[in-house]
Amino acid sequence: MDSHNTSAINPAPALGASRPFRLRRNGLTAQIAGRVGSGLLVLWAAVTLSFVSLHLAPGDIVSLLIGEQLRTPEVEAAIRAEWGLDEPLLSQYLSYLTRILHGDFGRSYILQTDVSQLVLSQILPTLKLTAAALVVAIVFAVVSAVLTAGRRIPRSVAGALELTLVSTPSFWLGILLLYLFSFTLKLFPVSGDRSFSALVLPALSLGLPLGAVVGQVLRQGLERALEEPFALTVRSWGTSGLVLRLRHGLRHAALPAVTLTGWLVGSLLSGAVITESVFGRPGLGRITVEAVLGHDMPVVLAVAILSAFTYVTLSTLVDVLYLLLDPRLRDESRESAR
Amino acid sequence: MLVRRHFLSLGAVLLAATALCAPALASDRKPVSGGKLTWGVETEPATLNPQLNGQDKTKLLLRNAYESLLARTAEGGYVPWLATDYDISEDGRTYTFRLRDGVTFTDGQAFNAAAVATNFARLKDATYSGSVSAGPVARIIDIKTPDERTVSFTLDRVYAPFLDYAAGLELLSPGAFASGQLKSGGPEIAGTGPFILKRYAKGQEIRFARNPDYNWAPANAGHQGPAYLDEVTYRFLPESSVPTGALSSGQVDVIEGVSGNDAGLFKGHADFSYQTALNTGTPYSLFLNVTWGPTEDVRVRKALIAAIDVDGVLKSVYRGERTRAWGITSPVDTQFYDKTIEKSYGADPKRANQLLDEAGWTSRDPQGFRTKDGKRLTIEVVQAQATVRDQRDVLLQALQAQARQNAGIDLAIVFVDAGTYTERRKTGQFGSIANSNTPTDAIDIEYHYLPVDRGGSINYSRAAAPELSQWLKEAASTLDHKKRFELYARLQRFAILDQAYALPLYEPEDQVAAASYVKGIGFRPFKQMPESAYDLWRSE
Repeated sequence: MDSHNTSAINPAPALGASRPFRLRRNGLTAQIAGRVGSGLLVLWAAVTLSFVSLHLAPGDIVSLLIGEQLRTPEVEAAIRAEWGLDEPLLSQYLSYLTRILHGDFGRSYILQTDVSQLVLSQILPTLKLTAAALVVAIVFAVVSAVLTAGRRIPRSVAGALELTLVSTPSFWLGILLLYLFSFTLKLFPVSGDRSFSALVLPALSLGLPLGAVVGQVLRQGLERALEEPFALTVRSWGTSGLVLRLRHGLRHAALPAVTLTGWLVGSLLSGAVITESVFGRPGLGRITVEAVLGHDMPVVLAVAILSAFTYVTLSTLVDVLYLLLDPRLRDESRESAR
Repeated sequence: MLVRRHFLSLGAVLLAATALCAPALASDRKPVSGGKLTWGVETEPATLNPQLNGQDKTKLLLRNAYESLLARTAEGGYVPWLATDYDISEDGRTYTFRLRDGVTFTDGQAFNAAAVATNFARLKDATYSGSVSAGPVARIIDIKTPDERTVSFTLDRVYAPFLDYAAGLELLSPGAFASGQLKSGGPEIAGTGPFILKRYAKGQEIRFARNPDYNWAPANAGHQGPAYLDEVTYRFLPESSVPTGALSSGQVDVIEGVSGNDAGLFKGHADFSYQTALNTGTPYSLFLNVTWGPTEDVRVRKALIAAIDVDGVLKSVYRGERTRAWGITSPVDTQFYDKTIEKSYGADPKRANQLLDEAGWTSRDPQGFRTKDGKRLTIEVVQAQATVRDQRDVLLQALQAQARQNAGIDLAIVFVDAGTYTERRKTGQFGSIANSNTPTDAIDIEYHYLPVDRGGSINYSRAAAPELSQWLKEAASTLDHKKRFELYARLQRFAILDQAYALPLYEPEDQVAAASYVKGIGFRPFKQMPESAYDLWRSE
């Protein structure tokens, strides 16, 4: 997973370092093949690591499944036979891999349901929450950066607010928002994945801390851009300050912020667990935590594959966004292809 | 001679039923049908199959759709439900139930002797029911269905708690056993209940709709005929501070599970009702491991119990909202609780120190803890992090402070993950585990005091004294109630006073808070858990 993120972070084009999109003729297919290949490698590594680490963790699956209930040799045997736990570890691992290749993610040990269905039923609420949180984060970051960059007092006010948001545990932020906007003002409902209004508070509590981090990076980038000579040129055309910031400055400032956002979105998926339980929302986060605690291997593996897939997709998306944002990268790739 | 048990005559039952719901009716008008209700619950079922689900907190919602042969009265007696009558053969081994006519499962299948027999037969199969197959059903050696309306079970030998189990088992439609949803439960698994499970959104809510054909409520229910509500939705709110806020802001109509600190929000408030009921079963107790560490020595166990002032601890942790426990079973268990044990031990630091001196824990380390041969007197309380509830972490810390202050005992609380907890339980490497359970009819005592490998699945003191097994076996193999009471009373004195296997702390309870327009809220007679939505109605 990491190799992809670093490949996305390192080139930080604003600093003029080496760039991933310097292509030769017929290099595009090689590039795509490389991406797919390393993507598969990441998926395999995620499955293998999850499998190994769950087996290294204390507590065997049979005991966890029996819990505090009656335990007899017959019961143990029935559970082992049901889940194929009596086979050696290596063959369990191989049979998992084979089944996954055939699109069969198995059944959950604990919930007894089909894992693909389980994950599919939870992925939509999670995606909705993540997308809404992302919108909140971007809007917050852009507004805060554009309005305050280079202005002394607004800058320090926004900085203090961002620091508070970043350092507030999302649990507290969630409870705070609930008390204020749901229990007291009764503006938004507390729970579930039901209507748009039920999405507002969870998205705020998940998105604001992210927006605060990105906002700080964006503001710095914007300030650097505003000091560059082109800013003076644009001003000399008589363009207003706001237009300068929005149309010209923001593009320059966006690259590091996009990298950071791409990376943080991955963490939104894992950070969602607390938000999900505070707001009583369905979602992958809660399922994952419960599955890891209960050594529910089929669920853990499915989630591992899904999150590895998400990371790979995101880092590719970030690379494409670079091309859209910075024309110089596009020109260079065209030049080197010539 | 046939040992035959008759129910109260119909007239007496009706009288009792009217008396039961009289207070609810007096305060308001006649119940009205219709409307929807939302109930906020903390615990989400791991499976919706009631036969496989061992979570007490989910019974209130599963009982809307699934029912059993007999219902219980507050005093521990039995009244007709899906069975109209039962008897026990003279040798005490054969239980015969006569089934009610005209009952159908909500998938259209008929409720008859074959359906009941299928349920019990399938439960004996470990590939379906796992640990449940090792429970009371394991004792069934023969199931007979002499006619459409009669089913009988023969046991290998007399086992007194069997009636409680068989009468209370939630029955599924025979069609359910062919469904792919069998183990996870779900809308395909039909019962006979007053509501039909319509929709389950994992992580969010579960919805039931009224069963319009329902007409077989237990004889002591608040009313007969279909349920009042059109629909009831249970919404999962796992974060403990959220349900109270959701209720007080009108987003849900009823909640269960209210912390000691939040009780004041609803108690005595005109807009809300607030009710509690003590659980049945073994109280929340600190079980002391007799096979590992300093607690192997009975003097250390007795010293710990003498060192702690449980009343004082409970008052400070729960603001007086919890009930002190003294014995091996709940004070609400009118059948088998011997209350002579109350106030017979504890809160005697002088004796605690004397016992520890005798046991050789005479020197002290710089922190003030007692030591012997250079080793500190440490009792490790192992607690699974994920299962902490009802401020029990705070309770344990308060005990820790007292043990240290009053006797120099280091009560070390170790929070572990589920896997480590399972591992330590299995290997027996822990000083103490605190735990409670809720089964009735002394099954709770069996789980805690039979040997670990002979049915004592939560025997956390790991006690294996032959007396225990002997008394438990004797008590289970007689239907003589008085004799059983005496045996459990003897076991209680032995376990708590003589051997100090456990320090009983408090009796867990259920709380239900509701908006004042929700009527008919109550607890299940005898089992004391929050009741299904059958009798609920909205007065506005």
